[in-house]
Amino acid sequence: MTHFILRRFLLAIPTLFGVLVVAFLLLYVAPGDPVQSMIGERADPETIARLRAELHLDDPLPSRFGHYVVNVLKGDLGRSYITNRPITQDIRERFPKTIQLAVAAMILATVLGVSLGVLSARNPGGLVDKFALGIAYLGISFPVYWVGLLLILLFAVTLRWLPPSGYGSLRFLALPALTLGMRSIAFQARMTRSAMLEALNADYVRTARAKGLSEWMVTARHALRNALIPVITVLGLDFGAYLTGSILTETIFSWPGIGRYVVNAISRRDLPAIQGTVLFLSTVFVVVNLITDIAYAKADPRVSFN
Amino acid sequence: MALRTHAALLFGVVPLIVASACGGGGAPSRRTLVDSRDNYDPRSLDPALSTDVPTGRAVAYLFDGLTRFDPAAHVEPALAERWDVSPDGLTYTFHLRRGVSFQDGRPFVARDVISSWQRVLDPKTKGGNTEPLKPIKGAKEYAAGTQQALTGVTAPNDSTLVVTLTQPLAIFPKLLAMPVASIVPPNAGADLGEHPIGTGPWKLVEWKHDDYLLFARNPRYWGGPPKTDSLRARIIAEPSTAVAEYESGNVDVLEIPAGEASDWMEDESRRPMLRNTPALELVYIAINVTRGPLADVRVRQAINYAIDINRIVERLISGRGTRAAGVVPPALGGYEKTRKPYPYDPAKARQLLAAAGHPNGIDVELWVGSTPIYERMAETVQAYLNAVGIRTKIVQRESAAARGAARKGQTDLFIKDWYADYPDAENFLYPLLHSTNKGAGGNVSFYANPVFDSVVTASRRELDETKRNRLYEEADSIAFQDAPMVFLYFYNELYAIQPWIRGFDPPVIFNGQRWLDATIVRDSAGAKK
Repeated sequence: MTHFILRRFLLAIPTLFGVLVVAFLLLYVAPGDPVQSMIGERADPETIARLRAELHLDDPLPSRFGHYVVNVLKGDLGRSYITNRPITQDIRERFPKTIQLAVAAMILATVLGVSLGVLSARNPGGLVDKFALGIAYLGISFPVYWVGLLLILLFAVTLRWLPPSGYGSLRFLALPALTLGMRSIAFQARMTRSAMLEALNADYVRTARAKGLSEWMVTARHALRNALIPVITVLGLDFGAYLTGSILTETIFSWPGIGRYVVNAISRRDLPAIQGTVLFLSTVFVVVNLITDIAYAKADPRVSFN
Repeated sequence: MALRTHAALLFGVVPLIVASACGGGGAPSRRTLVDSRDNYDPRSLDPALSTDVPTGRAVAYLFDGLTRFDPAAHVEPALAERWDVSPDGLTYTFHLRRGVSFQDGRPFVARDVISSWQRVLDPKTKGGNTEPLKPIKGAKEYAAGTQQALTGVTAPNDSTLVVTLTQPLAIFPKLLAMPVASIVPPNAGADLGEHPIGTGPWKLVEWKHDDYLLFARNPRYWGGPPKTDSLRARIIAEPSTAVAEYESGNVDVLEIPAGEASDWMEDESRRPMLRNTPALELVYIAINVTRGPLADVRVRQAINYAIDINRIVERLISGRGTRAAGVVPPALGGYEKTRKPYPYDPAKARQLLAAAGHPNGIDVELWVGSTPIYERMAETVQAYLNAVGIRTKIVQRESAAARGAARKGQTDLFIKDWYADYPDAENFLYPLLHSTNKGAGGNVSFYANPVFDSVVTASRRELDETKRNRLYEEADSIAFQDAPMVFLYFYNELYAIQPWIRGFDPPVIFNGQRWLDATIVRDSAGAKK
């Protein structure tokens, strides 16, 4: 197992290097001048030239790339062109808030999604199943921003149960987490349902029933455990996506996470901030995928680490 | 992002929920004023780095300059009680306010002005727009590192400051009201951006990035402390969310998103909260006068005649604009009331095109950035232009990319706006159309008319306000005839202010409102103004 993890880590290095190269080159060819966003619309050419020189923007590409790689290896993502703050500090401040949101969304997705799936599989075609199916369709087909704004209108503006936006206690977390997790809830419900239907018809479930086990034991211990394997995979992928891509949710709910930071950096052509966060988020994604793989293997003895 | 468009769709789909949401209760129990206008995190709280609106607003709370703007955008004394100008217009003597101290207790003296400005100009400061200080003698040399001191500024005593300019510049006191010219303590370091110390009416309590800035009143403020204890500037990225926060009573003022204005204006219960304010913002289509057929003034005038701008103002921005007949906004001196905008006259447009030798029309590219309202406008303009034989291709780019292309002279037509840095006609005429500012300086029309240039240059030197305004009028009239742009409209800001708020006038210029007199009135009987 150690060997497996080590090998996967080593494999991640070329992936991340590739990300580094692409992030760097894309920004190099993308139009828009970072210096212009630093000093505003009205600036004289001398100042622009001086700043470009200071930021090494006019150096040959290989030399700029070399500098960047060396600094990254030292753990230094540089300072933002715009705010002059270290990128690592910005990420440290914002990423925990994104994690908070992603974890809350995943908890909701798992609890609600899996329960809905199990309940619908217990009685296919029944009332609960139809309800869960409806929820799933809506969850999958509604765009995030639409769900978000609807939830704000309903729970914050009309009912006044929850604050419309902002960062703070659990009350602030509820709506964005539900918005972000909506798609996962829907997927989990559908996946769990079909996996459960399959498991409930399997021989070992018939055996369990024949042994005289209670229906609860059969469902929870025997069927669900086997049905969970695909669910874990999807959970892992979703979690990775939520950690790195909750931009819309964070924007709608004014959640001060890393998604909004990236959007800001892009609109201001803040090259070090864009490169730093892209690299950081790619690393997160790779690590989360690795953990998912391990969890997958743990849950299913048939998967070998080799 | 196209969020606003989708939000508009949403509000169309679920009007019932919205309708039931209106008409909230009385004053909130909170004692903190809450602003919703910042839609992204300020870049820094260091005046030296102030180039965006959220930063500029916060800097105005924390710091003072020698002068400042009131909500109506008039310049008034701040740390300078008064000033004298020498007859040649080159030397300004500022008499500074005595007994002022920084928020850390250190007394403010004339030398602090010199160190503040040197700090801004210092190449080590990296970034920030130093233009407002560049008219000072020796500023360019100091910024370039060829001189060790800012020679044009001296402090003969603690309360007197003498500033020498390289050439007369009548608007200099207005430039000093810009955030970048604010006065910081002499020991200010690199962390001033996170831990600001100024002489301003508010002190920073905490700054949660992308979330909010919390300010507490400065009890020793020289102008008398603000009437309310604290002020929270929330950072709300999505306009529809800001609206929801306003509806919930969580924020006190709101800038109504462009697309939602008519919903508000037509709603009886909400109309009393609305305040219209002329924003010093010109929306126009820059015509690059160096590109092909656009070099001919008749073609440029034809483009102006071809578009029904009144209809655009009425339909696309719910009438929230004043038609432009030049670049000087109605709120500023130098605006000429009698000049009429180009009327909508497609026949005349065709005639002018033919006269210019293009009876079969021309082909142009119309560039637009990723601003939803301008994207829609581009389609409308395209239809109007096609109708008179100006075959128009829309080129849509991300905003920064479109701006970059325009500065390099790669655009034929480019829909853009210009928001004044300081409230003066010069801030429109000079950057947008003077030939020294071609390209990066702001003149993306690449307009160069020696007569216009000389009038603008003369206006910049003219100390007499009446004469200066006449020169502005003259310059604006020349530009109007030459049509280096399609003169669209001046945007009018629409504010909603909660009924429980007193003493808040929407500012004409971004840093003209410091919430000094703003209070929350708890008496619900007085909640109707």
